[in-house]
Amino acid sequence: MKFGKIMMNGIFKENPTFRLLIGMCPTLAVTTAAINGLGMGLSTAAVLIGSNAVIALLKDVIPSKIRIPAFVVVIASFVTILGMLLKAYVPALDKSLGLFIPLIVVNCIILARAESFASKNGVISSIADGLGMGLGFTLALTILASIRELLGAGSIFAISIMGSAYEPAIIMILPPGAFLTLGLLLGLINKLTEKTQ
Amino acid sequence: MREIIKLAGILFAITAIAGVLLGLTNMATADKIEQQLIQENINARKAVLPQATEFKKVEDEELDSIVQKDFQMIEEIYEGINEGELIGYTFKTTPSGYGGQIVVNVGISLDGTVSGINIVSHTETPGLGAKATEESYQDQYKEKSIDSPLEVVKSTPSGENEIQAIAGATVTSNGVTDGVNIAIDLFNQYLK
Repeated sequence: MKFGKIMMNGIFKENPTFRLLIGMCPTLAVTTAAINGLGMGLSTAAVLIGSNAVIALLKDVIPSKIRIPAFVVVIASFVTILGMLLKAYVPALDKSLGLFIPLIVVNCIILARAESFASKNGVISSIADGLGMGLGFTLALTILASIRELLGAGSIFAISIMGSAYEPAIIMILPPGAFLTLGLLLGLINKLTEKTQ
Repeated sequence: MREIIKLAGILFAITAIAGVLLGLTNMATADKIEQQLIQENINARKAVLPQATEFKKVEDEELDSIVQKDFQMIEEIYEGINEGELIGYTFKTTPSGYGGQIVVNVGISLDGTVSGINIVSHTETPGLGAKATEESYQDQYKEKSIDSPLEVVKSTPSGENEIQAIAGATVTSNGVTDGVNIAIDLFNQYLK
């Protein structure tokens, strides 16, 4: 029960992209195609689960005065090891996700969750939080990227939707399109949740 | 003072463990990663010169110095061999695109045509210049004669040696074509 609740919290109530507004750099940069959004989201989720678990385990060993550098070392090592393993054993996956792996280190969601959740909670809860936040991030990125790809290239997941007569609005897959889509989506979500509250 | 030493000690322990773990992973994966890279390069060469079954790096000091002087865009040249016979060359070229360097592999067959091209890596704009990685664009270069340099046009190609630019990405199209042309040029002057 509690596991599920923490997880759902990350996906909806405290969705990192739409509610907490953290991790904006990768959000804006990689959401040019749905597959990129999904890939970045899932790689972040994998790292987040791992780093949350390790930090929850180590939280009693790490004195609070040096927690930030310690977290950064843990996260960076985790990501680097993951990157090397991907390169060595699943090169196909590395080819499509390789670009995102180094970006994950600087994704502030990871450090934010380490600091605000994993350093205060148990291992199982921290894994639930990592899973929820990771999936919430994946969901948000995939939605954002799908909208941009649909308007900017006429397809979703490279499957043509709009037909060949559609003239793609290239601006949507350029940086301004990221800001436009994110702004409109945030406005829409705020409007919708305002009513229910 | 005592606290600082304690904190430094703990931080040192954490970084030391992380360092050891990283080192061990690197030891375990370095060979494997190198093999994957070699395989990937072989595949990239095979994609542009499919008839070849074997590739051998061209190591000729005279040619190297010519390349370094006049063909700086060319990084690597390989001989493509099929049943012991030389059938063509592959060139790794690094022309500039809109967003930076584009790495283009170019295959030239001894019968005087471009056997294929392939974008190895690039930093072009997604949705515009990045379309250069699509087969429909790259296929345009296939079987083009190397008697004259290729030209980029914005409309439907009418001439033998014309390549249709990617809509909205003329700079990228020019860049890729520069890479192909320099390979053609070197081939015509020194390898023919």
